[in-house]
Amino acid sequence: MSEKTAKLIFWIGTLSSLVLFLALTVDTTAQFAALTHADRLDEQVVAGKRAFERRNCNDCHTILGFGGYYAPDLTRAYLRLGEDAIKRRLEHPEVAFADSYRKMPQQNLTPAEVADITAFLKWVANIENHDWPPQDSVARWKRSTERMLAAAALSPGAALVEQENCLTCHSVGGRGESKGPRLEWIAGSRDSAWIAEYLADPQKLAPGSEMPDYAHLSPGQRQMIGEFIAAIAAGRGR
Amino acid sequence: MTHKTQSVAYPYFVVALLLFGLQVVMGLWLGIQYFVTVPQSVVDVFPFATARAMHTNLLVLWLLLGFMGATYYLVPEETGTDIAWPKVAWAQLVILSLTGVIALVGFFFGWTQGKPLLEIPRPLDVLVVIGALMFLANVGMTMFRARRWTAIQGSLLGGLVFLAVMYLFGMPFYRNLAEDWYYWWWVIHLWVEGAWELIAAAMTAFILIKLTGVERKVVEKWLYVELGLFLFTGIAGTGHHYYWLGAPKYWLWVGGIFSALEPLPIALMVWDTWRDVRHRTTPLRPRLTWVYLVGMVVLHFVGAGLFGMAHTLPQVNYYTHGSQVTVSHGHLAFYGAYVLLNLTFFYLAIPRIKGFRDGEYDERSGHLGFWLTSMGVVGMSLAFGVAGVLQSYLERYLGQPYMVAQDPIRFWMAIVAAHGVLVVAGVVVIVKHLLTLRSVTVQAA
Ligand code: HEC
Ligand code: HEC
Ligand code: HEM
Ligand code: HEM
Ligand SMILES: [Fe+2]
Repeated sequence: MSEKTAKLIFWIGTLSSLVLFLALTVDTTAQFAALTHADRLDEQVVAGKRAFERRNCNDCHTILGFGGYYAPDLTRAYLRLGEDAIKRRLEHPEVAFADSYRKMPQQNLTPAEVADITAFLKWVANIENHDWPPQDSVARWKRSTERMLAAAALSPGAALVEQENCLTCHSVGGRGESKGPRLEWIAGSRDSAWIAEYLADPQKLAPGSEMPDYAHLSPGQRQMIGEFIAAIAAGRGR
Repeated sequence: MTHKTQSVAYPYFVVALLLFGLQVVMGLWLGIQYFVTVPQSVVDVFPFATARAMHTNLLVLWLLLGFMGATYYLVPEETGTDIAWPKVAWAQLVILSLTGVIALVGFFFGWTQGKPLLEIPRPLDVLVVIGALMFLANVGMTMFRARRWTAIQGSLLGGLVFLAVMYLFGMPFYRNLAEDWYYWWWVIHLWVEGAWELIAAAMTAFILIKLTGVERKVVEKWLYVELGLFLFTGIAGTGHHYYWLGAPKYWLWVGGIFSALEPLPIALMVWDTWRDVRHRTTPLRPRLTWVYLVGMVVLHFVGAGLFGMAHTLPQVNYYTHGSQVTVSHGHLAFYGAYVLLNLTFFYLAIPRIKGFRDGEYDERSGHLGFWLTSMGVVGMSLAFGVAGVLQSYLERYLGQPYMVAQDPIRFWMAIVAAHGVLVVAGVVVIVKHLLTLRSVTVQAA
């Protein structure tokens, strides 16, 4: 190979890649608005992003998969945990994670910061990113949970969950609201006995929790709810 | 050494080495936090996030200071003239070191821009830019005055300008998180897989000419091909970070295809080195420099080429993205490509700056340092890798909540930390050796 050929390879390689990259950047910029729902990106969301940066949350948590790997990814935290559960964790991490082997700092966030960050996480949760991360994929939850629910729908636990209106705060499969955690996510780390005890008095196991108590149910009924929720745990591939 | 002003490189090397020591100590503390429960009172004052910002910024800072020192050493020999303004080179070192110290102390007190790897707050960015401009002006002026252009010089200057320009994209505040990460990668990816590779290729070519005595024409011809391939695969290859951030689907194709070709130029670099070493006209002395050179090209290929390739296709990356698999690759790639590059250059330059006869010195603890650190980093990366595959399977594939999946991983993070101890020990040996290099002839006398 002559030096002239070598130089030619350099210029053609560099310029062709650069032109392609810049062209795609122009197109991507134009598409971001739709893919990220920029119409919902209001001043509170921006304030939340600023607070998120000021508090350096991103060097422990990943978001969109980028950042520190020390703590749960926050891309879909809003859909996984729900509004009230997020707020309690931001206000009192030292209480919420008191029993955990890994801690989150108490940074004394102001009430405005808590509200802004929550709004920010809500907006992020709806970014269309080809359904990443898989463990929080609503599409997969819908498919697998619906299958399991079909089998369990006749169980007394499922009937109680309907009757007590748990889904006005919690979600499962494609249904419900995002004030409290998803039932699938709860099932991933809790067993039926724990859930039954929690229902009797949420404040005992989660001080400051926004979850109402279900002391009016009998221990047997609470146990049935616990068994129903625990049974929808992921673990066989979603 | 052929010119007196080349010696301004030495203080750069000294500062870089001291920061390197601090960086790995901070890394060890990060590793420990993965398997030990740190009490809330400590987490409130000095959280993982702060230590991580310090670890990564120290890495970037010392590598850049190393590159700058290397540039000041290399340019006079390439151009055949002295550095234009040696005093400016000193002032620049003071400014950049000061910026680093303020940044580290600031992180401790919560003063941060809050973007991973780019935590240096915006007001300090101004100092960084001033330092960078002084550097580029000085180097540019030296080359301009000499009016002698070589491919090595061009690649080096091109890489440095490219590096500086890309840094600017990390400075603004972006309202949209997706867009923010889009440009974050213009800094991070286009640095390590673009600008820094140009610098590495130039420095490696220079080292090869000095060590092997092989004809410059041959080395420079292949340099053009390497650079072309690096930029062809690397620029559009940025797409391998755009799979899951809210960008259009075509990035899965563009990122996957171009980045899958990225190992090619690195393989070419290995082949170049091998060919030059075989055709060398000089003896393999001192052996330590050769150990470093070979260690660098091999681990550059393994860490960046092989470990990078392993998770670059979207089908794999869907499961490994944002897991310890990334950390495994990050460590081995940075170590193989840029840590060893700097250390190789230091071992080439320091004996020459100090004017040892025949360039000979007592090598023994240098070998010990190399092997301790390299075995440590390789072992650490393998342990990160096991942790990462486990995490991808338990969390991403089975769908377990993060904290449930982390529990079994803690064992592997203890193995990481055990290797981290080796790394810290090795780095202490290397730093001490490099800072106290003495000529054998002096010793005998
Ligand atoms: C020192 C590292 C650290 C920092 C800094 C940090 N966190 Fe956390 N965070 C954690 C850990 C560890 C957990 C998980 C604890 C557990 O579940 O046992 C957590 C949990 C959470 C959760 C619940 C996630 C889930 O799926 O259970 C949210 C939401 C959260 N953090 C948000 C934030 C925000 C917002 C910030 C910045 C204001 C922040 N974190 C700063 C370490 C950190
Ligand atoms: C008014 C809204 C609301 C209703 C109704 C509600 N929950 Fe909750 N629930 C919450 C919130 C909020 C949390 C999160 C508490 C926290 O940890 O901060 C929660 C937490 C829980 C948890 C514990 C999650 C964990 O792993 O820490 C369980 C179990 C649970 N709910 C079950 C139920 C069941 C079963 C019902 C119906 C019988 C129900 N909830 C009804 C709001 C509600
Ligand atoms: C040669 C020395 C080292 C280099 C080049 C290096 C490089 C890096 C880089 C680039 C990151 C960011 C990783 C990413 O985002 O993927 C990082 C983070 C980290 N490093 Fe190091 N490091 C070194 C030494 C160490 C040592 C000795 C340890 C000790 C065990 C260590 C432990 C860590 C940990 C735990 C993280 C945090 C990753 C996370 O967020 O979970 N490093 N390092
Ligand atoms: C010397 C060269 C390289 C260095 C220093 C390097 C370093 C890094 C670092 C530090 C990260 C993590 C960034 C973060 O998210 O915090 C990363 C990510 C990544 N690198 Fe590299 N890299 C190099 C070359 C390559 C090459 C050649 C490839 C592909 C063939 C590659 C593929 C990837 C991929 C796919 C990711 C994303 C991981 C994820 O999805 O989380 N890298 N690299
Ligand atoms: Fe990359």
